[in-house]
Amino acid sequence: MSSVCFYFQVHQPFRLKKFSVFNQQNDLDYFSPENEVILKKVAEKCYLPTNQVLYDLIQKYPDKFRVSFSLSGVALEQFEKYSPQTLDSFKRLVATGNVEILGETYYHSLAAVYDKDEFYAQVKKHSDCVKKHFGVTPQVFRNTELIYQDYIGQMVSDLGFKAIVAEGADDILDWRSPNFIYQVPGRDCSLMLKNYRLSDDIAFRFSNQGWKEFPLTAEKFASWVHQISGGGDVLNLFMDYETFGEHQWSNTGIFDFLWHLPEFVLRHPDWEFATLSEAIAKYPRVSEMHFNRLTSWADLERDLTAWNGNQIQQKSIRQIYEIKDLVLKSESNSLIDTWRKIQTSDHYYYMCTKWFADGDVHAYFSPYESPYDAFINFQNVLANFSQVLAKQLKEEYRI
Amino acid sequence: MKVLMLGWEYPPQIAGGLGMACEGLTRALAGKDLDITFVVPQLYGQEQATHMNLVDSYTLPASQERIVGQKLERVYVPANLKPYWSNHDYLTSLSAFDSIQEYNLSIPVAPAALNRPPGKVHYGWNLMEEVRFYADRVIHAFAEKEFDIIHAHDWMTFPAAVALAKLTGRPLIVHVHSLESDRSGFGSNQEIEAVERLGFNWASKIIAVSHYTKNKIKKFFGIQDDKIGVVHNGIYGRRTKEHYISQKTNDQKIVLFLGRVTYQKGPEYFVRAAQKVITEYHNVRFVLAGSGDQLDSVKQLANDLGVKDYFNFPGFIRGEQIEANYNNADLYVMPSVSEPFGLTALEAANFSTPILISKQSGVSEVINNSLKFDYWDIDRLADLIVNALKHDELRQELVTMAGQELKSVRWDVAAKKTREIYQELGK
Repeated sequence: MSSVCFYFQVHQPFRLKKFSVFNQQNDLDYFSPENEVILKKVAEKCYLPTNQVLYDLIQKYPDKFRVSFSLSGVALEQFEKYSPQTLDSFKRLVATGNVEILGETYYHSLAAVYDKDEFYAQVKKHSDCVKKHFGVTPQVFRNTELIYQDYIGQMVSDLGFKAIVAEGADDILDWRSPNFIYQVPGRDCSLMLKNYRLSDDIAFRFSNQGWKEFPLTAEKFASWVHQISGGGDVLNLFMDYETFGEHQWSNTGIFDFLWHLPEFVLRHPDWEFATLSEAIAKYPRVSEMHFNRLTSWADLERDLTAWNGNQIQQKSIRQIYEIKDLVLKSESNSLIDTWRKIQTSDHYYYMCTKWFADGDVHAYFSPYESPYDAFINFQNVLANFSQVLAKQLKEEYRI
Repeated sequence: MKVLMLGWEYPPQIAGGLGMACEGLTRALAGKDLDITFVVPQLYGQEQATHMNLVDSYTLPASQERIVGQKLERVYVPANLKPYWSNHDYLTSLSAFDSIQEYNLSIPVAPAALNRPPGKVHYGWNLMEEVRFYADRVIHAFAEKEFDIIHAHDWMTFPAAVALAKLTGRPLIVHVHSLESDRSGFGSNQEIEAVERLGFNWASKIIAVSHYTKNKIKKFFGIQDDKIGVVHNGIYGRRTKEHYISQKTNDQKIVLFLGRVTYQKGPEYFVRAAQKVITEYHNVRFVLAGSGDQLDSVKQLANDLGVKDYFNFPGFIRGEQIEANYNNADLYVMPSVSEPFGLTALEAANFSTPILISKQSGVSEVINNSLKFDYWDIDRLADLIVNALKHDELRQELVTMAGQELKSVRWDVAAKKTREIYQELGK
């Protein structure tokens, strides 16, 4: 037997509002009213209709259709605030028992790379949040944007997770296939690697009319899946959930594709769908896999340069972690929560300058006109935050 | 191929970017199979243009009232021609170009006795007189010469160019470096706009220095899209930052404005922003270099806003002085109200100085790695200046990335596009 393992990433950041260097406000109101608008729009175009398709598929194939999700804490928080209906529809999916929720940092942050204690705190907060909403505790971990290196697997193992997912980067895999389960070196922790070719056929190329495989039908994709038979235990299809209805619009036929895919995949008796926990229980670990560099699922380089490749990003990241001790010292929940929301990786991604002049995918996902505007807005917010923080600490000492 | 180019200025005697652009473009264009004759109203002796035949219109023979030559016999000379026209008369005549039928063309004829008007630079109260004078000399000197294409730079040369195109049947390219509406905003001189319209209507092809300018021509003059090509200006690698030893002795930051001190360039926004900047960033000096009709009022404004002590007003600067200023600046600001291109911003970037430019500019199309703002948004301008001064990393990143873009902003790229247009018209 072999299993198709879908994992969908659901994330929405708290984008910052336009903030001037001359703004002297004293509250912690840094977030854009646009967040509500965007969330409701994406819920309508993607989350709600796609959840419905998945729910119907589970009703149709209760024994054979499974998917996994990672829902960032900041996305869940926005569902709760702006679209409780969306949160309910995810709850309904989880209640079927066919859907697994993965663990991650609540704030979709880069803490795994920059601050271990902070990483642990945010993972715990996320687990608590998932438990609160869904009544389950995550067993498999997915770090922000699939950022991974050996030591991250080891940290996650220390936290009790049974497995972690990562990018099947070519230079790491070398001659090996992503279609098996591997092991974090020296740990009782499995490693599941994204098959980026087949994942990206859906996530990026589905509606590309210049692609030689266009149009991509469920039947054609299923035939590619079946070709793996005998040469792999798992096919890990990891992608942004917004692929359905947002990146690939409804009129591209993406929803029909999703609806028909299980039918064609399941026509082959050796294939089924599995959650990540089911897959690691079912298939053996074939060997340890070393990740000797930081990888992610971004760009061709599969590295971290989209978040920390230039000096304005590096400065901003350095600054945010530099004030950690002061923030924690304040013991103010609102200060700590706000500080962590500014850690969300998207804020640094918006500052990415590579390829900016070409107007590529980075620009498409940014609320700013340029990476420099993103940096300046971030700096203005951070400067104000630091002032509010300093004021609060000063007052506490006076008391 | 022989190209007759009609221009209005040539370095080093220039009032703005027009002369620089003409030098850059012709240097890259000339050679191979292309001969350029470039006529300017007047030369001053320091010009270096071995790549082409640079002609001073004052050395051309002035026409007589009686026009000679077979082709020219068809030219209609208005009976009311007076030896000394006022600007108004002349413009009335120019406006009449619009309705003139083929071969029934009115050419202003200056009397042989007319001497060079006073003033060294050909802009000013007597500009119309100059335009008339230039047209007269050029038309009569070149109507019977051999050339394949007429390429005219900005409205001052359009009367001469249109007349020559009609007389000779040669294709006409009008090249737009700036529009009257850029220079004067809502106070545009309608007569000048009439000359621009004349050029656009009669041209075989229009070259705009930016999409920004192309869109204005489409919008305000109703010219169809495919008649207008866009050829961005370029830049030559000249002396770079390494050539200059920094004259800075402290960590005071310098913010530079360099350009004509006129409505178009937005100097007032620069001064008003400075007032806000110093509330957040103190160790700063603003250099406002250039001269123009708003210089006095801008100085007065700096005084009234209490920021005079933060300002230097070096006046009109040239050559090495300009380069030294680019080099010393920590930030170059171009708050233009309407900037067809904005060559100074490109030059500043070429000196590894980060640039902050208005979105209402052509250069913002070619240097994306810049700080951009809407020229009227003084708060935003001040915000951007403060942040640029505060964060070394921001300035460095801008310079590094703009440097990559500059590699493809070259005059040979502009020349290649221009040659393609020549070839298209030559068919």
